[in-house]
Amino acid sequence: MVAVADTVSLELDDIQSGALHERPSPYVGTYVLLRIDDRASGRELVRRLHPVVDSGRPSADPARDAWVTVAFTYQGLKALGVPRDSLESFAPEFREGMAARAAELGDVGESSPANWETPLGSPDVHVALAALSPDAPRLEAVVERARRARQELPGVEVIWRQDCYQLPTGRTSFGFKDGIGQPAVEGTGISGSNPGEPPIKAGEFILGYPDETGSLPPMPTPGVLGRNGTYIVFRKLHTRVAAYRRYLREKAATREEEALLGAKMVGRWQSGAPLALCSESDDPELGADPHRNNDFVYRDDLRGFKCPAGAHARRANPRDALDEDGSVNVRLHRMIRRGTSYGPMLPEGVLEDDGADRGIIFVFAGAHPKRQFEFVKTQWLNDGIFIGAPAEKDPLVGPNDGSGKFTIPQRPVRRRLQNVPPFVVTRGGEYCFVPGLRALRWLAELET
Amino acid sequence: MAASETTTARPGVSVGPTSEFSLFFHVKPGHGDDLREALRTLQNHPGYRPGEYGMAVATIHEARFVLFDDDTRLLFATSFDGPWDSYMEDFFTSGPTLALFDAVFQHVEGYEGLPDVAAVKAFVLSAQATAAAYARNYGGTVKEIRKAERVNKAFQRVLDDPAAGEGLQHPALKPLLDEASD
Repeated sequence: MVAVADTVSLELDDIQSGALHERPSPYVGTYVLLRIDDRASGRELVRRLHPVVDSGRPSADPARDAWVTVAFTYQGLKALGVPRDSLESFAPEFREGMAARAAELGDVGESSPANWETPLGSPDVHVALAALSPDAPRLEAVVERARRARQELPGVEVIWRQDCYQLPTGRTSFGFKDGIGQPAVEGTGISGSNPGEPPIKAGEFILGYPDETGSLPPMPTPGVLGRNGTYIVFRKLHTRVAAYRRYLREKAATREEEALLGAKMVGRWQSGAPLALCSESDDPELGADPHRNNDFVYRDDLRGFKCPAGAHARRANPRDALDEDGSVNVRLHRMIRRGTSYGPMLPEGVLEDDGADRGIIFVFAGAHPKRQFEFVKTQWLNDGIFIGAPAEKDPLVGPNDGSGKFTIPQRPVRRRLQNVPPFVVTRGGEYCFVPGLRALRWLAELET
Repeated sequence: MAASETTTARPGVSVGPTSEFSLFFHVKPGHGDDLREALRTLQNHPGYRPGEYGMAVATIHEARFVLFDDDTRLLFATSFDGPWDSYMEDFFTSGPTLALFDAVFQHVEGYEGLPDVAAVKAFVLSAQATAAAYARNYGGTVKEIRKAERVNKAFQRVLDDPAAGEGLQHPALKPLLDEASD
């Protein structure tokens, strides 16, 4: 077995900063998708985007600036004329595309690609740009830089734009502070949010470095294209906030019980305070404290009296809860998440749907789309086999069909919620590759 | 190695949450006795000793190692909760399984000198053959079965109490009363 050095030297100057960068809070952002109709124009776009993309060690002060990340779908790399043997060296899931993975991912029924928002899931999606900034003026400036990159390039079309934001409270449409749990990545200097979790090997997130198995992750060829790249997965997820609120209202006798049921489903209170640390009532001070709000494990709560085994956050990262199983290495299934909100928030207290499209843009970054994103999605969120409850799915984001169950351990008698409806509908998404900066230049200079 | 069977991963057959997993290996020439001894040692390990029910991997229902064809071939067969191909890297990077498999696999062809987990995974998958028929007599995962055993044990203790008949008369307990008669 290949020995893994304790420390690795990451080529941070070659890694797009969006991959590892902690975001400012709050922020505003824009996602743009483009189609390349003409290969030469596509390469010229990449050439012009190169200086727009930031790299380097993520700033200690994330509010410093705005930045752009550029990513390509498999169809996009094809449109740029990447040679066949190189295309075939990419991860199979990336090559298939998210629409082709729909059945596996639980994107069925209303969430199936047939119902996705145009052009998501179609072969027209070639380039994805993400621009993020602490405020609107700085975002506009950076979007303008990206826009200029596309000027007078008739062979490149903008086919989709989605604005997004994070509220100053960090809360998403369901009302919960999100994005608290992030792994520390070895060699980046970015500390994780859970002091109990040693930094994850860089190769779990950036291609070209040893990963948690002690090996180099499968890397696209040639090396100049794959090295310092990462895969991202983005999903536009519509949240049925009114239906969610009505469901809780129906199941709860009081507002306090409503808040408790909501917290049991998520694993955290709305403030972000984890049930593992305060299971009786919300503690906003704890929720707001980045040094404490992710500093916990589950070993003292294996039966889930504080935080149910089926709660969303515990499913997505079971920490030490499965250590006794002997079949799971949680460090192989960690994700960098860069989720964000879109659409207007449903005003507090409103129980009727206002017809507005709102939700989250889920973004994953990692070197292993299958054993990270797809594993977490299919084994932990969409299924309950791993917690001994095959009939239960994630109560918040699982593909429930109205027959879902959710068990809340409590004394003397456990509570079981029945007929959990779907609260999240997939509007579309895609697997993308975020090349390093040298790789961007290689793409711009292709001569096929 | 059952080379004709393959190099590509196949998911095996599932019944409910559980899937079958069978591996066929060629024993290294002259290693038959050593392998038998390694398996005897395994059989005397905690979790594998007769009467014990606590294997290192808590998500498999049972496991068997069968030497056949005059100890020139080895079968490993098990039933696992979940799709086993999703967990292959986990098995080969987590302590208990790694040590256990290493002690056995060193006596089969093709195992030595594998450079990384991907190669180990490929080696294992190349030995895998999907069942042509597979059935189960209960639907639960190991976790559910263990829970069911605990619950039944508790129920039997309740029934051992002379007051059980009276206590189970409440309408809410009717399903339990129905199970109390034998």
